[in-house]
Amino acid sequence: MAEQSRVIELRHVDKHYDKLHVLQDINLTVHKGEVVVLIGPSGSGKSTLCRTINRLETIDSGEILIEGEPLPQEGKALAQMRAEIGMVFQSFNLFAHKTILQNVTLGPIEVLKTPKDVAEREAMELLERVGVAEQAHKVPAQLSGGQQQRVAIARSLAMHPKAMLFDEPTSALDPEMINEVLEVMVELAQEGMTMVVVTHEMNFARRVSNRVVFMADGQIVEEGAPDEFFDRPKSQRAKDFLDSIRGH
Amino acid sequence: MSAHTTSMRDALYEAPGPRTKLLTLIGTIVSLVLVCIGLALVIQQFRITGQLDAKYWAFYTNMNTWRFLFDGFLGTIKVAAMAAVLSLALGVVLMLGRTSGIKVLEIVCRVIIDFFRGVPSLLLIYFFYLAMPQYGVRLPPFWMITLPVALAASGVLAEVFRAGVNAVPKGQTEAALSIGLTPGKTMFKIVLPQALRIVVPSLISQLVVVVKDTTVAYVVSYPDLMQNARVLLTTHDAVVSVYLVVAIIYILVNFAINQLSIYMARRSGNPIISRTTENPT
Ligand SMILES: Nc1ncnc2c1ncn2[C@@H]1O[C@H](COP(=O)(O)OP(=O)(O)O)[C@@H](O)[C@H]1O
Ligand SMILES: [Mg+2]
Repeated sequence: MAEQSRVIELRHVDKHYDKLHVLQDINLTVHKGEVVVLIGPSGSGKSTLCRTINRLETIDSGEILIEGEPLPQEGKALAQMRAEIGMVFQSFNLFAHKTILQNVTLGPIEVLKTPKDVAEREAMELLERVGVAEQAHKVPAQLSGGQQQRVAIARSLAMHPKAMLFDEPTSALDPEMINEVLEVMVELAQEGMTMVVVTHEMNFARRVSNRVVFMADGQIVEEGAPDEFFDRPKSQRAKDFLDSIRGH
Repeated sequence: MSAHTTSMRDALYEAPGPRTKLLTLIGTIVSLVLVCIGLALVIQQFRITGQLDAKYWAFYTNMNTWRFLFDGFLGTIKVAAMAAVLSLALGVVLMLGRTSGIKVLEIVCRVIIDFFRGVPSLLLIYFFYLAMPQYGVRLPPFWMITLPVALAASGVLAEVFRAGVNAVPKGQTEAALSIGLTPGKTMFKIVLPQALRIVVPSLISQLVVVVKDTTVAYVVSYPDLMQNARVLLTTHDAVVSVYLVVAIIYILVNFAINQLSIYMARRSGNPIISRTTENPT
């Protein structure tokens, strides 16, 4: 594929937490419009990998490229790059002291310097799209988990990101709320958003992902098309893991 | 707000049963009786020692007495307000330095904070009043009282703010950074506003301390309420009556500070505080 279609590229990335070798020679390329699902046992380094991509975590060695450019290390350039990569967290992390609308308009107003009225119009459209427009003037604590997570997605989208990172976006949700969030994500995927998604939702992975990357103990153990990975995993570790999440 | 406090109480105590209700009633009556007896004893003692004599109270009918007390009151308010503003600003600056991640700056701020927290404000006042003039720096009395009080409070406030900042969940910072806010904007737009709301109760206690600290203004001959009270009580030789009235004024001032803080917390439309009064969905 052409060089500029590589949106995210990790080359030989290594990271330690003290003695723990949490990322071991990670190589991963995500092309434009691709949806990559990261899967693996708890503690295998999925969150850490996700967070290195927008430098919420630093790396020890290796390279991370965004659209072919090395990840900036600090200052305005880093902030600029982070603005171009959306991130959705397991615990939503909506700004607790701001209304839903303000949560979505903050980035555009402060970072993109969008005029307030334009930012608000766009934010309302996004909130409409994720189905929480009626909640615009409430504060996060008044919303259900599923609603908060959809707002968090809208907040990321408001920055017009080149790619989006999702770190277990449905793990903190009550079962009946998981689907409303996954639906939004499926729509995004179908519209061509470049996505890296840490999730154990197999149906989601089968439906929209181009590739499943299986991690264990800080390494990428295997990767492949979703149906192939879920139906015919090659490594024993992946087989064991899939057995464990299928609940036997 | 009242719904909030009720739910707090419900969380701490179980709903009272008939026995508890009876005990509460008995407790209330007994304590009321004790309070009345106590007050009666105090008044009786005042009467015996002649503190209720007209000569100790007559000068309150003179408007000049009140004008004089009011001037003192204004002096106290001026010093306290300026010291409060300065200490809030300096407290934030010291906290930011203390948590800046720049080692030398962190150590310097930490030493400053610990120094101001540890040194009694009276000692700082003596420094401004006695020590500095020896080196040719002689500030007006207003600043000789205001600066030490502000400095002493700023050390405490820096630590209060730091505790508040630490209490804001890490995810708030990460979310702010990930939409492209710089670390500075993240601090000022996301972390500090939430930290401030968390520490409002401690800020109020500290403001009350500031008001109380100003009472040593007489050391530098600044005409605050306490200083004017001293003048009054020597002219009229009325210790009890003057101190009683002045104490009540201080209590009222601090009561007003508390009321003001509650009012401001509501007015600012603080969603964190007011959310309990709205219907969650
Ligand atoms: N800030 C940290 N300091 C030290 N160890 C950490 C830190 N964050 C994560 N770890 C460790 O790194 C490993 C990988 O964590 P993580 O990336 O969160 O895994 P996953 O998301 O796959 O569950 C775990 O063993 C975890 O305990
Ligand atoms: Mg994780």
